[in-house]
This record gives sequence, structure tokens and C-alpha cells, in this order.
Amino acid sequence: MSAEGRFRFVGVRVGRKDGVLKATGRATYAYDVWLPGMLHGRILKSPYAHAEVRVDATEAERMGAVVLTPRDVPDVLFNPRLVSVEEDTFKDWRVLTDHPRYVGEPVAAVAAASEEAAQRALEAVRLEPVRVYRPLLDPFEATRPGSPAIHERVMRGGAWVDVEDNVACTLEYSEGDVDRALSEADVVIERRFHTNRRYHLQPEPKVAVSRPDPDGGVTVWTTTQTVHNTKILISQVFGIPQSKVRVKKVFLGGGFGSSIHTNLVTLVAVALSRKARRPVRMALTREEDMMHDHVSFEMHMRIRAGAKRNGRLSGAEFENVMDIGAHQIQPYPLLGTALGWFVSLYKWGAIRYFGRAVYTNKVPSCALRGYGNPQVTWAVETVVDELAEELEMDPVEFRLKNYVGKGDLFWGQGPTVKSIIRSDGVPELMRRGAELIGWRNRPRPGEQTGRYRRGIGVARGFHTSGAGGPLSGSVIDYSGAFLKVNEDGSVDYVTALQDHGGGTLDAHAKIIAEELCIPLEKVNVVWSDSSTTVYDVCTHASRGVYVGGEAARRAAREVKRKILEYAVRILNVAVGPEALRMRYDEELKDAVIYVEGSDAQTTLSEVARTAWQRNWGSISASVSFRATAAPPSFTAYFVEVEVDTETGRVRPVRVVAGADIGTVINPELAEGQVQGGFVMGWGWAVLEDTPYNPETGALENMGFITDYKVPTAGDIPPIEDFRVIFADTYEPTGPFGAKGIGEAASNPVAAAVANAIYDAIGIRFYELPITPERILRALRERERQGRESAQERGGGLS
Amino acid sequence: MEPRVIRFRLNGEWVRLSVMPNELLINVLREKLHLTGTKYWCGIGECGGCTVLLDGEPVLSCLTLAVDVDGRKVTTIEGLATGEDDLTPLQRAFIEEGAIQCGFCTPGFILTAQALLRENPNPTEEEIREYVRGNLCRCTGYVSIIRAVKRAASEAVKSRRPGPAAGAASG
Ligand code: FES
Ligand code: FES
Repeated sequence: MSAEGRFRFVGVRVGRKDGVLKATGRATYAYDVWLPGMLHGRILKSPYAHAEVRVDATEAERMGAVVLTPRDVPDVLFNPRLVSVEEDTFKDWRVLTDHPRYVGEPVAAVAAASEEAAQRALEAVRLEPVRVYRPLLDPFEATRPGSPAIHERVMRGGAWVDVEDNVACTLEYSEGDVDRALSEADVVIERRFHTNRRYHLQPEPKVAVSRPDPDGGVTVWTTTQTVHNTKILISQVFGIPQSKVRVKKVFLGGGFGSSIHTNLVTLVAVALSRKARRPVRMALTREEDMMHDHVSFEMHMRIRAGAKRNGRLSGAEFENVMDIGAHQIQPYPLLGTALGWFVSLYKWGAIRYFGRAVYTNKVPSCALRGYGNPQVTWAVETVVDELAEELEMDPVEFRLKNYVGKGDLFWGQGPTVKSIIRSDGVPELMRRGAELIGWRNRPRPGEQTGRYRRGIGVARGFHTSGAGGPLSGSVIDYSGAFLKVNEDGSVDYVTALQDHGGGTLDAHAKIIAEELCIPLEKVNVVWSDSSTTVYDVCTHASRGVYVGGEAARRAAREVKRKILEYAVRILNVAVGPEALRMRYDEELKDAVIYVEGSDAQTTLSEVARTAWQRNWGSISASVSFRATAAPPSFTAYFVEVEVDTETGRVRPVRVVAGADIGTVINPELAEGQVQGGFVMGWGWAVLEDTPYNPETGALENMGFITDYKVPTAGDIPPIEDFRVIFADTYEPTGPFGAKGIGEAASNPVAAAVANAIYDAIGIRFYELPITPERILRALRERERQGRESAQERGGGLS
Repeated sequence: MEPRVIRFRLNGEWVRLSVMPNELLINVLREKLHLTGTKYWCGIGECGGCTVLLDGEPVLSCLTLAVDVDGRKVTTIEGLATGEDDLTPLQRAFIEEGAIQCGFCTPGFILTAQALLRENPNPTEEEIREYVRGNLCRCTGYVSIIRAVKRAASEAVKSRRPGPAAGAASG
């Protein structure tokens, strides 16, 4: 619902609160933290894809460096991500290991007075291979009998589990009789898909500064999406009480899921600083970051789906084999969530799911803006497009007929997190989008000739707003907020929640201002640390506004109640606080508290000042909130592309990006999320991948951005042809009707682009990215087939 | 290798310090002078995040030797404004257009755009895209950045003041 007019601050365009800091270069990121007397660390990364090694650091130690070998770190097995409950958490990581399982895995570390000295010491550390194994770079090969075991056994919660055939974990699920449904379907198609393995290329390489404190604890500045989970992990690995681990909140130069887990640099920095008894800075270069501990999940999927002539889906089988790399971060929850993405897109009828996560000797996978959702959506939206075509139905109508929407049961975050959909802008977005792009007049697939061919594609998607639900599932999902009114009536909002730039904390400030009827400038967002904030699980799953924002609103409501109690005393009229009203006064720039139909009134600043001067005590509230739903934010993208059939290059011509995020709290920032989400999705669709060398098992495009191509300002459509539209919806469970946005913004992009390419040249692609090479190869292949069948026909005639 | 003493005008003030002949400008700025607004993304000239102005021209400080700025003028993001009250039109436009998300690319973009507006006070959209092509942004999708540059340009033209680049780049 358009928030304009109904709210004073929510939905209003104002420059972001941290804009001045960022525009003037004064925002401090973890990479910028510089402590007096600190040492610089370097990590010795495994050059082997899989080996057992012996580390000899005598020479480095002789040079005066502080050295850590696998023997010098706590003998603790852990999972760097703590979002799932303990019993669903698989642990197979160590801080340093003498059994590295991917090229880049940390084996040893050194610290010295300068980076150069540390580098020299690092080069003096000798690594002797005791046993080298054949690298396994493909999940199907890895599960073949006789392949080397990447892990013999790992821990689940507190118990050991054996790993068979390199299968990390599995999940199967079914509902209804799929075989019957498919045999009775009028149309059945089956397709296999293989995604790319994308690198986050978050702007800020992973970094940590750790300072040992006199009380035996540590203070840490690092790239993280969650200061509290980082605190807990450090505490668990090093056996320090959580009250002595202070993780500072600093600006984050992009996360996109790469720091939901605590990056290894953080633990290495803590270990080095504890040994050195001095602060240590451990900063990665871009090259190192690329092979450190984060890429997206590479998925091999198979979908077999059927529909009836009447245009209804009747059954589907979904197989999902995930190449998770050498360690588990969150493949186990993803097996459930991937199924959640699948079932929450369409009413398939009967379903059967088979999910399997497989270890390989590659950089470990984690969430990347969408947590498997863009991958699944790409496959589903391709299949759905093809089914519509088989049924000779309009792809838009086919989608509208079968999608999961208002009133339907929704379990986007997997089978343990279910709720009912209450707001749904899909029909509006599909209809308006179709009209704006000129859907009815789009070319027919493959009917064009000539060098440049244009096509229009559509895809829809969604993402949850957080991971809450009525029941406590296997995901931890709650947020804290602490709010206090200062003695002049301004407000400090203390939150652990990280804002990676999406404007989450701006939204919170607006929510607080709205609730307390005070100007936005009077809401100060406090940057502090894990010891002065109330627990927040993490900024992920597009939950910042929906869950964190609701926590802020509840804290504000609590504060408001106390304000009114004090106001009664000041007004000295014979009513209770419930009779008082609050409104914003533009002239006073303050909240006015009044009694309807009387002259009695006071202001918030008066209340705050009086409470102070009369010794009434401070007004504050602390709230911890868990959402009982995770409503979907829907997106529907229409994309027009142009394919150059001589070079294979694809160019976006026009985009209509529709989003249903409930009440739009920050219009310009939400638009920015959609635009940024589209462009990131564009990169995944046509540019980005991290291939490996089959012999050495090392990354081929090690750390070079030109090797790992991402979109530049030259790759986007003209800005007047890039439309963002918002649906007019209101989410009854969200703060002022709001839902999330970050991930929904990019989930359907690759699918829409692939469908547009099909519309332009009549060829479907089942492997991402759809690079110029792949397009040219496919065009040539089609030409060759065309010639051959022409020859055959020719032959038959003679 | 022997250290060398260099002198250059940094954000309007002369500084003098001793550097190694192979020392990079980005490290001198960030580590010795603690001007951390200049950002490190890649260190090899591929992202534009470390852009500074050298005699008004954009250069990549990760590919510039510190000794090469001897006697010259260097402007970093810190040299444009100290806070809310003295923001340049470009900085204001970036904030107001929502062209800043995580902010890691922002200093590089603002300085690059400033050089563009000095060369060409009223660039077309195509010219803006072309000029900032070497600067990566992973968050915004560039739309709001292009809008911000356009807005700053048109405001400067409207107010018939010299382009937004004029004041600070001479600093
Ligand atoms: S850090 Fe200089 S161009 Fe990337
Ligand atoms: S705002 Fe994050 S990289 Fe541009």
C-alpha cells in the first residue's frame, strides 16, 4: 500500500542516515581499523586440493614471527555458522588444519610487525605433503565408490556421524502420489540444470582485528553479518566466557551472505593475538578472499513436472544435488529450504523431493543473496515457461493460475517453518509489468532473423521475510532492540543488527520516529558491540526490516507507554495514560501529548526533562522479539534483451522490475535494492563463474576481477528503460505493513533473462552462466542440425 | 632500497614524509596518514575503489607509487568535505539519490565523477557510464549513481556556479 500520506516518516524519501559518513569517507569498516602496536598476520593457505601435510615453522619462529600451526589452535571441531539449532548443525571445520581439503584452506599463520615481515616469515614456513589425494571436483564423481574420502566422520551437534561416499547430508520428502499424477498428466517435461558457482565479490575483502584484553578476553573488529554469533563462536572455540568477548559493530563493505558465518580470518586473528599478547590485524587480499571460505552453492537439479490440459499443474519431482565444497556451512538447512523455494513457487500437486549435499575439494559454499533461491527459481521458471508453451498458454496466465499466493500455506524456509500468506501483490505486478513491457507484442521464439535479435522474458520469484514461524523450528530467528529517551527528548536506539547498506537501520529509525511522533533527526542509531546490545541472530534471509523493525516498533511502543505515564503526572488532569494522545508537531519538531477536547498538553522533551529534574527516572525499554511468520515478498521481472548472434553477447534493453514488499518504508533505498538485485542477477545469468583446474584442483580465475567478470555501469539498460514498480499491499504481520526485500530482488533475474534469450533466439540454456561462448556454440549447433536435416530431406527426395 | 623523502599537497595541506621507492600511494594514505576513505578492493587496478585525484585527474592509488606524487596535488575523499555542512553537490546528490548502499565504492565514484564534471560539466548518460565504467559497485546496480551524477551536473548548471569539481579539486 502506498505509505504516502498515511504515515509521517514511513514511506518518505530522506537521505540515508549514514550517508554523510559514507560520502565523506568517514565511515569505519573493519578493513580500516588500525590499532597502536598491532601486528600483521598472514595465513599459509594450502596449495593442495586434498592432502595431509606436515608443517615446519622453526625458521619462521627464528625470524621472530609469532607462528601458529595446527597444533597451536584449540582442538575443536565447529561450524562457523550458528543460525541453526545445535542438533541440526554439522561440524567439520578447524581453525587450522594439517589435512587441508581445498586449495586455500588455512594451514598455518604468522604475525609480525609489518605485513612484509609477516610475508617473509610465511614464506619460511615449510609445508611437506605426507599424502596427496586426487582432487574431487564433481559431486557425481565424489560419490562414486573408490573415490578418496574427504571426511571420514564429522559431528552433528555433539555426536559423531560417519560420512559415506562423501555425502554430507540428505533430505527426502514427498506428498501425494507423484507417479500417478505424472502418468495422468497431459504434458510432462523433464529437464536437468547445472548452475554456476558464484563468488560474492563483496567489496570488502574479509578482515579481522583482534585485541587481547587484560581480563583474558578479546575485542574484535571484523567483517560479519552478526556480531552475536561471532561472539558465541569465538567463545566456544577458545573457551572464553561470552561476557569477555566483545565483537564491535563496524560498517560492512557488502555481505550478500558471505559473512553469515564467522569467516576463518576472525578465528585466526583471535588465535594469533592471544599467542602474541598484542593486537593482530589479519586482512585478506582479493586473491585470498576468493579462495577463503565463501562461494554460492553450485546445484545440479532435475525437475520432472506435469500439467493437465486445463492449465493446472498436477505433479512434480525435484532432485537437487549440491556441490558444497570441502566443508559444511549450511547445506543441511538448505536441503530443506531449497525444497521450500520449490514448493512455495507453485502448487505442483503431488511432489517428491530428493536432496543430497556432496563434499568436493572446492571452496566451501554458503548463502549468496537468496540462499539457493535464485538457483531453484531459475530451474522452476524455465520449466514453467516450457510447460506453458507446451500447453499453448500465455506464460503469464499459466503462472497466475498455479502460483502460491494469498491464503495458501507457505513454507518458504523449509518444512519446519510454515505460515499462511496474508499479502500478495503477484497479480498486480504481473499485469502491470506485462503492460509496461508490451508483453502481448513480444516476438515469437526464434522467429527473428538478422544479427541482432530481441526477446522478452518473464519470471517471478519470492523470498521470505526472515525465518520465523508459529513453531520453533530448526532455525534461530529473533531480534533485540534497546531504546532510551535522553533527557532532552531525543532517542538512542541500540541494536546489534547489521545494515549492509540496504537501509535496514534507516527503516528502523523511521519506524521508531513514526511510533513516537518525533522527527527522524531525533532518533540516533547507536553503533556498539555484542556486549551492549541485545541478541540478534543475523542480518540474513531479508529479515532486517520485518523482524528487526518489529522489535524496534515494540520497543518504541513500550517507551511510549512510559512517556504517557509520566505525562499524566505533568498534565495533572484526572485521567489515566490511556486517555492521552500523541501527535507530531511540525513547528515544535516534537511529539505533543494531549487530551482530546481539552487544552491540556505537553511535549516529549518536557516529559523527558521533567523526569530527569524531578528524579522520576529514565524512560527506556528492551525488547526481544521473534516473528511468528516469514511472509513472502514477491517479485516479478520482465526483461527485454538483445542477442548479438555474431558475438554471442547479450545486452539488457528494457527492464520492468516489480516488487511486492508490503509498505515501502524507504522508497529510494528499496528501489536501490531492486536495481542492485537485478544487476547482480544479471551477472549470475550471463557472466559469473569460478571454474577449477581439473589437475590441480585450484581455482582458475584466482582473485582477478577481470577474470571474474561482474556487471559494470556499461552493462545496464538506459536508466529510463529500467522501471521499478511496487505493488500496493499491506502485510498485516509486519511493522507498519512492511516485508523484506534484499533477496527477492535478485531471485528471479537469471530465469527472466534466460527466458528472454529463448524468446530472442529460440534456444533454451540449462547451464549458467549463459556466456557468449555458450550462445555461439548453441547457435552453431542449431545451424549444423538444420543443415543436416535439410540434407536428409534433400537425400530423401532424390 | 633507501627511503626517500617526498612532499606533496594533500587535501590542501603540504605533507612531508619518508617512503620506500616501491611503496604504493594507497598504503601511504591508508596506513601512514590514516586516511581510510580511499578503499582497497583488489589492489591491482581493476575496481576503481582506490581512486584519488592527482592534480585533478583520477588515478588508481593502488597502482601509483608514492614517490610519483612528490611535488604534486593529491585529493582524497576526505578533502572534499568534513561533514554535513560542507558537502559538495555531488556528495549531496549521492546521498539524496540513494546512490550509496554499503558505501565501499562511494569515495571512488564521487572522485571519479568529480573529475568527469570538471572535464565535462554537462555529460550525457552515455558519457557518464563510459567514464565510470572502471568503478565497480556491487550493491546499487549503478542506476542511482548515474542519476546522482546527472543531478549534481544539472544543479551546477542551474545555479550557474562553476561545476562542482572546481572548488575542491584545486585544494
Ligand atoms: S584497489 Fe585499486 S583499483 Fe581496486
Ligand atoms: S554501494 Fe556497495 S559497492 Fe557500491
